[in-house]
Amino acid sequence: MSARPEATSALARLQPALARLPGTRAWQQWRAATLAQLVADGLPTPRDDSWKYTNLRLLERRELATAAPRPLPSDVLQALPAAQGPRLVYVDGRFHSALSDSELPAGMSRTSHATLLDGPPPPEQSGPVDADLRLRSLNLCMAVDGARLLLAGGSAPARPLEIVHLHTGGGAYPRTRLELGAGAKLALIEYQLGVDPADAFVAAVTDIVLGPGATLTHTTVQLASDRAVLVDDTHVSVGRDARYSHRLVALGGQLARFDLRVDLDGAGAEADLRGLLFADGTREQHIRTLLDHRVPHCSSAQLYRGVAGGRGRGSYDGKVIVRAGAAKTSSRQSSRNLLLSKDAAIDTRPQLEINADDVKCAHGATTGTLDENMLFYLLTRGLDRQTARALLTYAFVGDVLKCIEPQALRQMIERRALGRLPAAETIREFIA
Amino acid sequence: MSNIQKGNSILEISGLKVNVQGKAILKGLDLTVRAGEVHAIMGPNGAGKSTLSQVLAGRPDYAVIAGHATYLGEDLLALAPEERARRGLFLGFQYPVEIPGVNNVYLLKAALNARRRHLGLQEVDAFEFLAIVKEKMVLMQMDESFLKRGVNEGFSGGEKKRNEILQMTVLEPTLAILDETDSGLDIDALKVVANGVNSLRADNRAIVLVTHYQRLLDHIVPDHVHVLAGGRILKSGDRGLALELERRGYDWVLEEANAE
Repeated sequence: MSARPEATSALARLQPALARLPGTRAWQQWRAATLAQLVADGLPTPRDDSWKYTNLRLLERRELATAAPRPLPSDVLQALPAAQGPRLVYVDGRFHSALSDSELPAGMSRTSHATLLDGPPPPEQSGPVDADLRLRSLNLCMAVDGARLLLAGGSAPARPLEIVHLHTGGGAYPRTRLELGAGAKLALIEYQLGVDPADAFVAAVTDIVLGPGATLTHTTVQLASDRAVLVDDTHVSVGRDARYSHRLVALGGQLARFDLRVDLDGAGAEADLRGLLFADGTREQHIRTLLDHRVPHCSSAQLYRGVAGGRGRGSYDGKVIVRAGAAKTSSRQSSRNLLLSKDAAIDTRPQLEINADDVKCAHGATTGTLDENMLFYLLTRGLDRQTARALLTYAFVGDVLKCIEPQALRQMIERRALGRLPAAETIREFIA
Repeated sequence: MSNIQKGNSILEISGLKVNVQGKAILKGLDLTVRAGEVHAIMGPNGAGKSTLSQVLAGRPDYAVIAGHATYLGEDLLALAPEERARRGLFLGFQYPVEIPGVNNVYLLKAALNARRRHLGLQEVDAFEFLAIVKEKMVLMQMDESFLKRGVNEGFSGGEKKRNEILQMTVLEPTLAILDETDSGLDIDALKVVANGVNSLRADNRAIVLVTHYQRLLDHIVPDHVHVLAGGRILKSGDRGLALELERRGYDWVLEEANAE
């Protein structure tokens, strides 16, 4: 591996912080070795294929170590809609009991990642770490806390579980593991919320395992602060006849990337992924998905909408793999992107890798400006240009927004998304 | 609007030349429309009928290279499309665009309130608006499900045309230009649409029907009929001209014009 001094420096500066982290001596040794390997490998760069559209050079001058806990503004959660169910709050990756509910949904148990630090660390990595896994590796190196949740088979709590990740500046390494037993059913709402003006670096990892017949509706609302760099890596295993739905709304951050890998591991497994990326100003919003059809009779659907204005940047990099033998696979992938200014750009790369017969796969990706015929029609009805443009922009993302539940959450997202559009007041009426 | 009286000039077009994608489509068109009148502009395909409709509504990519159009005493061509709409000019599209995600009724309410603001009238609230639109929906024999749908989203050709006329009856324009409103309609739908248009006939308003076929004019009887061909009005007359065109086609008008 060639040295990449501009990216390694921030990682190298992390070394002294390791001594402050809890854990057994074996963990300390594991961390030292893992970080040394990361320093040698460097952060991923656009030269790594899976990072083609995301450039982390911004991190050069960032502080990646987690800051000591500091007092929070009393209204820190005001930006969120009222809790829809039990809420767990993590501040820079550490559990915050005062802001959290003590009760969990019926059938759910929780332990902490911290308990793992008393046990043996993972096996040591020998040799360079794949670019795809480096942020995961960094997260495991730095994480000191995080929810490990188990929903017992057959449980179906009526209200959603909420996990709020607050970032106050410096490094945050949220780590979540959620397992649903057979037939269990849950709605999970996750917030990534910045405390302004935090120049945070957030490297989040979420692992989800859905047992046979389980159903998870997972909504991620990304409201990082304007200077934050956020990389979120979520890996889902979907069991037999289980169903995973993900809704991503990416509104915040200076640079944010969401990596979503879904393995369809049991026959009849389904994944339904929808997302909205909003890159206004100089913001960057990236999404990368990997859908792995490993067994027959699974279906997946992806619907992503990107909007970039100002000098915003975005990308959708979505890959579907159909493994040999995964017959009767059905997969749809759609990425449509809207550019509101001539300096905005969104890249798309839909990829299909099919190694089986008897499969139905469809994909499409477009990037364009507002439809002139639609715009003219609205103008001929007396709407002013600004309202007409905002309305069409709003309509463009409607396919994703209309799937967000519950209503209070959808309305909050609509307000936040609309707030970025000119003529927000006028078009708010349209969705009342 | 109320001070417009029968016979007042609403639209005066003189020497209008328009290029579309560099090609001359309108080549010196003259037309005068007065309050209280219904005009029919007929002509063969490719004559420039739709270009005329779109240019009057302000379509940006159609280049006006010569001529004038005066609307209620103002230079129409200097106004943006939305300013024309607020002054009471309505275009019923030949092919109304589908706009998924923009609610039909909210658009119409916004359109009505944009017009009312221009007229210095108080805006209608959601409740008042619903009463207005429901009354017009009865006239247009439209189902209440229309209220919930996106603009023209998934509408059949006939439903789209009905929706255009519904919008027109709610907006009560001073000048309505209806572009091929009869195309794609079966006879029952045609009657409903004609009813809607006729309900709007008034002394302080004018209607311009752009059509290829005479049959619409059986239901909406025009005061004036014009033949538009080769980018100019070649002949004008009364309703008898339309009937003659149906009998004899357009060729004789072109021949007459060439002979002059």
